Amino acid sequence: MTRRATPWRRDSGSRGNTPEATSCRGRTSVIVCAMLACCAVFVSSCGTETVPTEDPTAVEAPRGVQLPPLEVREGDGLPASLPADLVWETNEEDPIFASPEAVRGGIFRTWMLAFPLTLRRVGPDSNGAFAGFLRYNQLGPVTYHPNTRRPIPSLATHWAYGADGRSIYYRINPRARWSDGVPVTADDFVFAVQFMRSKEIVAPWYNNYYTDRIRDVKRYDDHTIGVQGADPKPLNEMHYSYGIGPQPKHFHVLDQDWVKRTNWEIEPNTGPYQISEVRKGKYIDLSRKADWWGDEVKYYRYRFNPDKVRVRVIRDANIAFQHFRKGELDTLSLVLPHFWHEKATGGPFDAGYIVKYWFYNDLPVPSAGMFLNSADPILSDRQVRLGLAHAMNFDRVIDTVLRGDYQRLPTFQLGFGDYDNREIEPREFDIEKAGEHFDAAGFDKRGGDGIRERDGQRLSLRVTYGNPQHTERLVVLKEEAKKAGVSLELQLLDSSASFKQMQEKKHQVAWMTWNSQGLSPRYWEHFHSENANRPQTNNLANHADPAMDELIMAYRASADFDERVALAHRLEQMVHAAGVVIPTFQVPYTRDGAWRWVKLPEWLGTRTSGTLFNSQANSAGIFSAGGLFWLDPEEKRRTLEAKDEGHPFEPATVVNTTYQTH
Amino acid sequence: MLNPLTIKQLQRFRSIKRGYYSAVILAVALVLSLGAELLVNSRAVVVHYQGDLIFPTYGDVIPGRTFGLDYDYETNYRELKRLFAERDEGDWVLMPPVPYDALENDLNPGTYPPDPPSFASSHYLGTDSTGRDVLARLVYGFRLAFGFASILLACNYFIGITLGCAMGFWGGAFDLLFQRLIEILNNVPVLYVIMIVASIVVQSFWTLLAVMVFFGWTQMTWYMRTSTYKEKSREYVLAARAMGASSPRMVSSHILPNTISVIVTFIPFSIAGAITMLTALDYLGFGLPPPTPSWGELLQQGTNHLESPWIVTSVVVAMVLVLLMVTYVGEAIREAFDPKKFTYYE
Repeated sequence: MTRRATPWRRDSGSRGNTPEATSCRGRTSVIVCAMLACCAVFVSSCGTETVPTEDPTAVEAPRGVQLPPLEVREGDGLPASLPADLVWETNEEDPIFASPEAVRGGIFRTWMLAFPLTLRRVGPDSNGAFAGFLRYNQLGPVTYHPNTRRPIPSLATHWAYGADGRSIYYRINPRARWSDGVPVTADDFVFAVQFMRSKEIVAPWYNNYYTDRIRDVKRYDDHTIGVQGADPKPLNEMHYSYGIGPQPKHFHVLDQDWVKRTNWEIEPNTGPYQISEVRKGKYIDLSRKADWWGDEVKYYRYRFNPDKVRVRVIRDANIAFQHFRKGELDTLSLVLPHFWHEKATGGPFDAGYIVKYWFYNDLPVPSAGMFLNSADPILSDRQVRLGLAHAMNFDRVIDTVLRGDYQRLPTFQLGFGDYDNREIEPREFDIEKAGEHFDAAGFDKRGGDGIRERDGQRLSLRVTYGNPQHTERLVVLKEEAKKAGVSLELQLLDSSASFKQMQEKKHQVAWMTWNSQGLSPRYWEHFHSENANRPQTNNLANHADPAMDELIMAYRASADFDERVALAHRLEQMVHAAGVVIPTFQVPYTRDGAWRWVKLPEWLGTRTSGTLFNSQANSAGIFSAGGLFWLDPEEKRRTLEAKDEGHPFEPATVVNTTYQTH
Repeated sequence: MLNPLTIKQLQRFRSIKRGYYSAVILAVALVLSLGAELLVNSRAVVVHYQGDLIFPTYGDVIPGRTFGLDYDYETNYRELKRLFAERDEGDWVLMPPVPYDALENDLNPGTYPPDPPSFASSHYLGTDSTGRDVLARLVYGFRLAFGFASILLACNYFIGITLGCAMGFWGGAFDLLFQRLIEILNNVPVLYVIMIVASIVVQSFWTLLAVMVFFGWTQMTWYMRTSTYKEKSREYVLAARAMGASSPRMVSSHILPNTISVIVTFIPFSIAGAITMLTALDYLGFGLPPPTPSWGELLQQGTNHLESPWIVTSVVVAMVLVLLMVTYVGEAIREAFDPKKFTYYE
């Protein structure tokens, strides 16, 4: 859900729940249309150049609305012909990070908490936690190396930067194919912008991004395009901000019905996996394309090894754990302290059938926080917000329920190197200070139940959250907050329902996590007044401050690294001062368990690996770090045999601190 | 005062030992749970401070400053007790036998909940995953479940009996109409409705109750309708009618008392059903919102933390005992009220 992001990896599926959500993050779902996918595989394996049918009505047809030609504003626009002085770049010299020992095959069994509400990538309900699966299989022109953080080829083989500082040109890989065998061409990129600008997709965020941020796109020949963005950017961020992905032009017919009609349709994609089977409410299978064009691309080699990924719906993390323990799931996230320390012991763990991995990484920290809806009559008062921050005893939660494994998150966004504002200290639990702020807000008397009151109104706030695992943290906070005279009403909803409520801005306090991504922090979507008091935007705090708007726009417009860093520091300071977000916890590592037969390279993961056993996801939305593991059939046979005979191996816990930063 | 038949039935009930003692134990437990604040609570029963006797159990929060402590929030009485004992100035605190309430987290840095049962810390059944006392949550959960079941029962029976009697007594179009309505309601999967409601709004005690009453009153109508139909054609009703009794009078004074055995027999089973239902919903997370103490929530925690067996053991044992006793009472009542043993028409 974080939609901070480039149009294509817009990503990452996630709101999440700090890394522990990774196990259930980004799972996709879909409706089955196995036939379609089979056809696609068949066609592509025959190497047929699938040409859309001759019948003109089938393609260009008067079906759907006629998309208007791209509108280009005064002062914008790419040159009519390809500039002659472009310097085409590529990157073939960085080391590969997948292991040549990897073998292809097997079924990777994983899980998701809830079945998706749609298989569309845009439009209503498409921003669910599993949307990642769909999105990661729709590649962008360029992605980023997970260790060097430099751009590497994906759909494009080469790229060049325009002289205006805000244009970027791509040469599309002529081998690139949609899953139905149709070649990916420049037209798909032009169509992507028309598509994202159209009202029919009911996606205001994308409408806005592709109108306001993406100013022009041009086809120079079948495999060459140019994209122009709104503002100059540092060169290495250009791909992230303006490197739009294609949309299958031959597939979409836009009309009033589009949202409803495509809700369960399987869209052709360009990535390694395509949905092959959907059992609503039960599972979704994604099958590896046998003859995927990307296998020829250097950085995709030895990756995405399982033949099939089965994503089962298991509606409870503990039940998922039991499945994992029995060997019905291949891997499981063990980030949660009580999973790692208590549950993941004994039985198959002690016998060494399951290996435990503790891997420190270095990537943008998910923005876990309490988002205070400033449109709410109580929370509109800054003093209440600050008081609330001082009434939250996070340290107590960390020291007890979280076993000291987590750390306090000091700022809303963190983990972007120089952009981090390390001078901000998180507001500490302090009843005195909380009291002063509440007094200043008029909540200066305590009622009979010890809760503060203002003109008979209790200082009682509803906290909406979607992860039952977090109840433990919240009940401790709730009890501690009583001391400061605040009552928290806990509202646990189904994860989809809770996010829906937040997006509709019907919450008071939203307890949730945005997955952080990109190369620099993002402020516009979370704090710009344009996103305040409107449904379906990410400004959960409904924060609107003209001074901040100005800085946000300056930050967005700047291409100067130092200036951007300085602005980011000021913005973070303003977020802190406004108190609209109370940052909660951070976890600078990932912990996973995997059965012995799930193999990893000897370096386990990359600098930016958010989790070790992701079948394909990018981490932090941009770093191509997923799909490094493989399934070893021989090892599987040995392990299962040993298990049947009760013969144990050495128990194994692998700790890797290569990328530990603090 | 009681008619001879009722007295006989009660005697018969008393003679069924298993049911009778179950009823006694349950009644005692219920009465005790009504006064649970005096037995299981983090508030002291009595505080003797500077010559005054203070009773904090019921009523408003007493801030720490009242006792010379340096904070405005609710006094920590366990701490106060330790402090008074240290000072030895004649002040004292009398804590309840279980000095914890169902909501507070007894967390100590360095130890990670759940903590096993311990007499030293007065956590007789240990703590749950956030350091709350399991016994306290059991006791308050019991009271809540019984309270919920009783109110649900009262509402369901009131509506069910009234409508059932009316259907049986009037018959005709009224009867037909409600039969169809009840059939429709019976075919709605209640559990799903509750889950849907729970995912949209935060359940409270009353919304949950409202939903369950909405779908739950139908069961009783069938029995009452049948009994009323049967009784209506008996001679004593005809006699009453001949003497000019009004319809309400015939139903309430003549028919209802003769169908009472049907009602009484069902009560224990309805209670058991309601407790099970509430527990199931809480277990699934669709019941009362956290942090309400409830058995279902405890059961859920127990199954999540099987490595801390005291949680799941406590709640399972408690549930089995209570449901078993309720069922024993039900069986005994059914036997005692069995018309084959006592009837005018022998």
